[in-house]
Amino acid sequence: EFVCLFSLVLLTVALGAQALTPSHHLSLSDVARLQALLSQPFTDLASAYYSIVGLSKLGASVADENDACHFLKAQLDPMSVDSLFFAAEASQAISDCEIPVSNETRDILLAAVSEDSTVTQIFRAVSALSSLGLPLASQEVVGALVARIAKEDNVLAITTALQTATRLSQQADFGGILEEIEDLAARLDDLGGVYLQFEEGLEATALFVTAAYTLSDHVDTEPPLKEDQVIQLVNSVFSKKSWQSLSEAFSVACAAAALSNNRFQVPVIVSAQGPATVSHNQPILQLLVTDVLSNPLASASVVVESAQAVVSKNVILTQAPFSLRDGIFELNFMTSQPASGYYQFSVAITGDTRLVASQVELKVKVSTEVAITNMDLSVVDKDQSIGTKTSRLGRKAHDSHQNFAMTFQLVDVNTGVELTPHQTFVRLHNHKTGQEVVFVAEPDSKNLYKFELDIAERKSEFDSMSGTYTLHLIVGDATLENPILWNVADIVLKFLDEEAPAAIQSKTLYMPKPDIQHLFREPEKKPPTVVSNAFTALVLSPFLLLLILWFKLGANISNFSLSPSAVLFHVGHACMLGLMYVYWTHLNMFQTLKYLAIIGSLTFLAGNRMLAQKAVKRYGLC
Amino acid sequence: MSNSVISVISRFLEEYTTKTSNKLKVVDAYLFYILLTGALQFLYCLLVGTFPFNSFLAGFISCVGAFILGVCLRIQINPDNKGDFLTISQERAFADFLLAHTVLHLVVINFIG
Repeated sequence: EFVCLFSLVLLTVALGAQALTPSHHLSLSDVARLQALLSQPFTDLASAYYSIVGLSKLGASVADENDACHFLKAQLDPMSVDSLFFAAEASQAISDCEIPVSNETRDILLAAVSEDSTVTQIFRAVSALSSLGLPLASQEVVGALVARIAKEDNVLAITTALQTATRLSQQADFGGILEEIEDLAARLDDLGGVYLQFEEGLEATALFVTAAYTLSDHVDTEPPLKEDQVIQLVNSVFSKKSWQSLSEAFSVACAAAALSNNRFQVPVIVSAQGPATVSHNQPILQLLVTDVLSNPLASASVVVESAQAVVSKNVILTQAPFSLRDGIFELNFMTSQPASGYYQFSVAITGDTRLVASQVELKVKVSTEVAITNMDLSVVDKDQSIGTKTSRLGRKAHDSHQNFAMTFQLVDVNTGVELTPHQTFVRLHNHKTGQEVVFVAEPDSKNLYKFELDIAERKSEFDSMSGTYTLHLIVGDATLENPILWNVADIVLKFLDEEAPAAIQSKTLYMPKPDIQHLFREPEKKPPTVVSNAFTALVLSPFLLLLILWFKLGANISNFSLSPSAVLFHVGHACMLGLMYVYWTHLNMFQTLKYLAIIGSLTFLAGNRMLAQKAVKRYGLC
Repeated sequence: MSNSVISVISRFLEEYTTKTSNKLKVVDAYLFYILLTGALQFLYCLLVGTFPFNSFLAGFISCVGAFILGVCLRIQINPDNKGDFLTISQERAFADFLLAHTVLHLVVINFIG
């Protein structure tokens, strides 16, 4: 159990260690673009500062240094701390440029160093003082900074405070300022595990990176940033390749300079020169190993720890060193005679303890050329199994009683090994009708490719169109340098029951389909109204007959007693019949039952009474 | 053969007209009327078709039901059958007739659509 847990932890650590490599850095063209942006003509002292100092960080310099110096001196306002800061810092970057200093200047700058100025003011004053070679009291500065940080708790202020600390004497007691690096790092936002940046933006992140490394170098303490964090910061700072403002460009230049040249952590960028492909003609794998500014790391040594085939998992190479030539690291991979395919390279860069992201995974493709050998075309009669071999060229006529067969082998030109590329197709194309049928040729267990065409069976694919078909063999794969499209032969196919060659059955799959007309339910056939009316009259006629018969029989209502119950009964009964009619036309069952209950009970009572009276009359009972 | 049939029929008719009371003849006339109506409805259905079927059924069953109830009434008020219906007086028979008809009409009207 413990072993399992331990190995799991180890595995996670191992995976984690290999997890992150920088996805962004400044390529040579990016650096050139940055330099071009920083080389804009100056508009004011601030822009002059950004340009001059930024360029110096990139190892370049302004076009005309003398001009720049004059500009600085002309634009200087000796009463303003900001102005003094820009001029002083810029003049330091230019050789032979000195800003005149007076006692007044010194007093103004020293006065700015207090708890009442903002951190930016303190920073600019301290930097100006240090650049102009004026003395300053480091402890006082620290005190002021600490007090200000407590009041201005935002990212930019703390970063500026860190920058200020880099200008102080190394013996100063920096106190809590060093811890601020770690606190600020905790405030970074992790985006998808790839980017680490402040929500204040790119400039804030870049300035933080610069400050952290500059201060760490100054106090000779390793910055509290983990390797993964460094890589994520690299990704964030260098993901943007065009910069909106001079100050943003300046911050990126400073960050790049800090990351490529500090005492503790230098991220290394490894990329293949050109596509990561080797072949017989180009057996050398070339790698570029640089820092974030695309400066090659000449002191590094690059070693392939293992090269493993992706498909077969065979390890081809272990611990093979790259040789350095003209700033590019090279390895001749073909000497190990790898089979064609993809290989996973695990590359380690050593030689400098500062290197970060020094373990890189690289996918290398080994491509080769294919040749077709042992091609056999034959026509086999279905009844026999022995084929008649015919020559490769010429036209063959086949009909439905025969099968057409083709076998061949695909071999690697250089090694003679049998290959099974991804695409091996046999295409039959009818020139006249434009029909095209494609089949797949499959290899058997001995890597011998076989294609058999049973003409009778496949006639539906050809739409039973007889004619001349050109036969092409298509071979292709990602690792093949010479994909093949070879017109092997022309064959004449004859189908027995041929359809009219007029219509090419163009696939009407994507054309609108014929409309479906909805058939509504046809109403039932009704008899003509005349017939219905006639029969209605006919059906009602027996009633007349009834009346006549009753009359003849002498039925009468002479015995009708006008007692209230009799009247009520007859009225009620008539109402009930009327209710039936109303039910038919207007009501539903429930309403009818309701009315029926009322009328019915009345009628019943009345009727009961009436009939009782009748019975009394008849039988003389009481 | 046919002679005996004719003689039977004529004898029957004679006995009928003399022996049956007026009351029963009235009911018989009513029954004859119902029969005719039902027959005519059936004829119509045969000739023209069963559309609408529910109406035909309602009408036909109404005739059939009415005929049956009429027959019941006739049986119950026939003095010759008094022995079989000791508890049921004529008035009672008539009342039953009316009640049954109410129910029949309710059903028929519901079904006639």
